[in-house]
Amino acid sequence: MDLGEFWNKSANPDRIPRIFALILGLSLIAGLFVPFSLNNDQIYSRPAPQEQMLAGDRIAPYDRGGEILQTPGITAAQYPQYSEKIGMINSYMSPIAYNLKENSPYFGTSIYSSPGGLIDEILYYTRGFDTILESTILMMSFIIASWLALNFTMSRKKKND
Amino acid sequence: MEIGSLGGNLMGIIPLGDIVLYLTPLHLFMFIAILMFTFLIAISRTETQVEARFGDLKDYKLSVGLAEFKTRRFLAIICGIATAGAMITGDLFNFILFVALTGIVNIGIVSAVRQIDVLNAAFQYGLIAMMASLPLFGGGAIILAATGTLSLFELAKFTSNSMVLFGSILLLIGVAGETGIAPFFATKAEMFRTPGSPFILIIHLSSLFMIIRAIEIFLVILT
Repeated sequence: MDLGEFWNKSANPDRIPRIFALILGLSLIAGLFVPFSLNNDQIYSRPAPQEQMLAGDRIAPYDRGGEILQTPGITAAQYPQYSEKIGMINSYMSPIAYNLKENSPYFGTSIYSSPGGLIDEILYYTRGFDTILESTILMMSFIIASWLALNFTMSRKKKND
Repeated sequence: MEIGSLGGNLMGIIPLGDIVLYLTPLHLFMFIAILMFTFLIAISRTETQVEARFGDLKDYKLSVGLAEFKTRRFLAIICGIATAGAMITGDLFNFILFVALTGIVNIGIVSAVRQIDVLNAAFQYGLIAMMASLPLFGGGAIILAATGTLSLFELAKFTSNSMVLFGSILLLIGVAGETGIAPFFATKAEMFRTPGSPFILIIHLSSLFMIIRAIEIFLVILT
């Protein structure tokens, strides 16, 4: 098969996802032979979960310490000079999350994931622009999906031609 | 490679916490060019195609309705702004998010047409864009694991190893899939057979700019 024939065949839109999936699969298989090692010098590190759990911390494994608006907790930033108030609201907890923490020692992760639980300053402060972009992506997908749903399924008109 | 050696002198930075946008002559030029094109698209109207058919003497007009026109214009403007943001960002993950946003909006621009062939091509492009999000974000995660940072200023100082190289290859596959460059262009070529020219064009232009920026980011990371 010469090159022109290959290009002609690959110009069929139905085949493109398969070609892409093949290339992706092959490179992922090749990735099995690449030596992987985690660089321990991570900027966005977390204290080791086991330490906090063994110490009986009620909001383990994500307790970053600190007092609201008084002393900063442990939050790393690449450029601390651009995030002056870093760590100041690390330990804020909503009343529901606070009560959960008081009543049971086993809800650390769920406090963290519930809205109004512990505030992750990496998400909302140092890398806040990323969070804005992520929600923009979600919003755009909902706009597209709802537009399609409204115009192509709910109020579809019969065309004459 | 130092950031300044590719784009020219560093003229300034815009710090948003850890995400630092930076301005060099090259990036500033690309930023302004894509914004100007977006503005031209925002004030223009769509084309109308005329089709002749076999066994028939009538001409068929293929025009875009007002609601569809508005949605497409909105998505095209978002696409332009996302591309402009990707031009000046100084953070790897930020760039990845901009690429993902452009990919989704590109599908949205063509998803509302009423021609079956075009919709079929857009569906295939959507499949690729969905698959491409795995290598796109996976590549970024591997680079973060290998270097411990996402800022391009810090990545420029880091000496590359095989893990970073593999992450970059995955990232390249992801960018190629999201923007639909060769050899995955056939879906996009089919998508262009629909009326609504200026809005469709931003799909191409954003891919072009994204690829230029991606190549520069690879040079920064790897060399």
